Formats: sequence, structure tokens, C-alpha cells
Amino acid sequence: MRLEKCWFCSSTIYPGHGIQFVRNDAKIFRFCRSKCHKNFKMKRNPRKVKWTKAYRRLHGKDMTQDATFEFERKRNRPERYDRNLTENTLKAIKVIDKVRSRREETHIKNRMKGKKSKITKEALKELDQQIHMIKAPGAMVKDASATTSAKVTVKVQHDTDENRMEE
Amino acid sequence: MIQSQTHLNVADNSRARELMCILIIGVSNHRYAHIGDVIVVVIKGAVPNMPLEISEVVRAVVVHTCKEHILDNGMIIRYDDNAAVVIDHEGNPKGT
Repeated sequence: MRLEKCWFCSSTIYPGHGIQFVRNDAKIFRFCRSKCHKNFKMKRNPRKVKWTKAYRRLHGKDMTQDATFEFERKRNRPERYDRNLTENTLKAIKVIDKVRSRREETHIKNRMKGKKSKITKEALKELDQQIHMIKAPGAMVKDASATTSAKVTVKVQHDTDENRMEE
Repeated sequence: MIQSQTHLNVADNSRARELMCILIIGVSNHRYAHIGDVIVVVIKGAVPNMPLEISEVVRAVVVHTCKEHILDNGMIIRYDDNAAVVIDHEGNPKGT
């Protein structure tokens, strides 16, 4: 039994799922579900279809190079059954999965850095330019003269751990 | 899903080029042949000056079908063409 990768979306194909298509030049295309199969029949290029792993890797959305990917390389030589080896492999798979997903998350987080400040900046700019959509220009002027922004300092008493009521 | 009048490619080197299915061997009223079924074919196209000739009626076993073939372990395989291998009455292939 072997877990294959879908040719279109690169997800794992578990036994009993999907369709394999054998082309006349003996190249085998494996698909995980009919969605991928139908896209293939439509002659779509997975590198251009946004939800596939191929697109995400190509456009830098997902991690491309990492040491954890080396563990998952396809090996064609069958290994002789060794109980210790199997046990260690199963344990290693769990650890490697955890490490890889953690690294992928940090990759995406780094990619999204600065997004929040960008959004707030754009929102402020839009507010400046498009305020006439919300308030009439005349009302704005009247409001400005009425409210003189006098800064009031308010002392906030922080509850220290000792003073907080015990639960 | 091969039925009579279906044209099939030849998947061996028995010098035939194209086959047309006439009958499906097995249970009577068998409508369609799948991978592994024996069918009776007539040779529609062949390489000239070779043992097999056009309009010769022979038997063949289906090896490729465009219709999906479900294996026992749940795997589904689909080929790009319909193809068969020419055999004789014992089941030995005519090609090498």
C-alpha cells in the first residue's frame, strides 16, 4: 500500500479514493477526487489554478524548501520488515509532521506581517478622502468648530494581583 | 465497456492494427466486455503481407478500456483507449 499524491492538487490519495488515468504513453495520472479529475479533463494547468499546492508553491504562498521535505521523498526500494524500524518511523512521522506544520505556519505569518498596519492605514486614508459619503460637507465644518478637543487625562487604577478578589 | 461494432487498438506485435468486436464470449446476453474478457473480433486493419489478414475472425482479450475499471482494493483505473491482445482458442497470445 502506498499513499500517492494527487497530480492536480498534490494532496495525499488514500486507498480506495480517486481515479488513476493511464495515458497512451504509459504515464499515470492519479487524482484524489473528481474535482481534480474534471479540471484535468478541462486541460487546466495546476500551476495556474489558485487552490492547488503547485500554484501556492510557485507563487511563494507556501514553503518550498525545507529539510523536512527530504523525509518524504519517494523511495522505490522496498525495505525489509524490521519491527524497530517501523516503530521508529511511525514515531518520526509524527514529529516531522509537527515540525513541518509549525514551519509552514511561521512562513505564512511572516508573509502576512505588516498587513494589519497596512489595512488601518488604508482605512484612515479612505476615511479622509471619502468622508463626504458619510457626513455632509457642511455638517463637518460645524462639527469642527463646536468640539474643541481638550485632552482629559484619566487615571486608571490597575488591579494588582494582591488586591484582586480571590476566586 | 466494449460491445459489438467497437473498434479496438491492438496492444501486441501480432501485426494487426485495428479490430472490431463482434461477440463477447461467456454468458449469453453479455452486453459489454470489460478488461480481461475474451471477445471475438474481426480484423479491420493489418500490416500487409503478414499472417493475419483483414476480415479474418479471431479472438482477443481486452486489455485497455476507456471506461473505468475497479480493482479489488478499490483502485479505479481508466485508460485512454480501447485495446485488445489477439489470442488463439487456448488463450495463448498470437504475438510475442
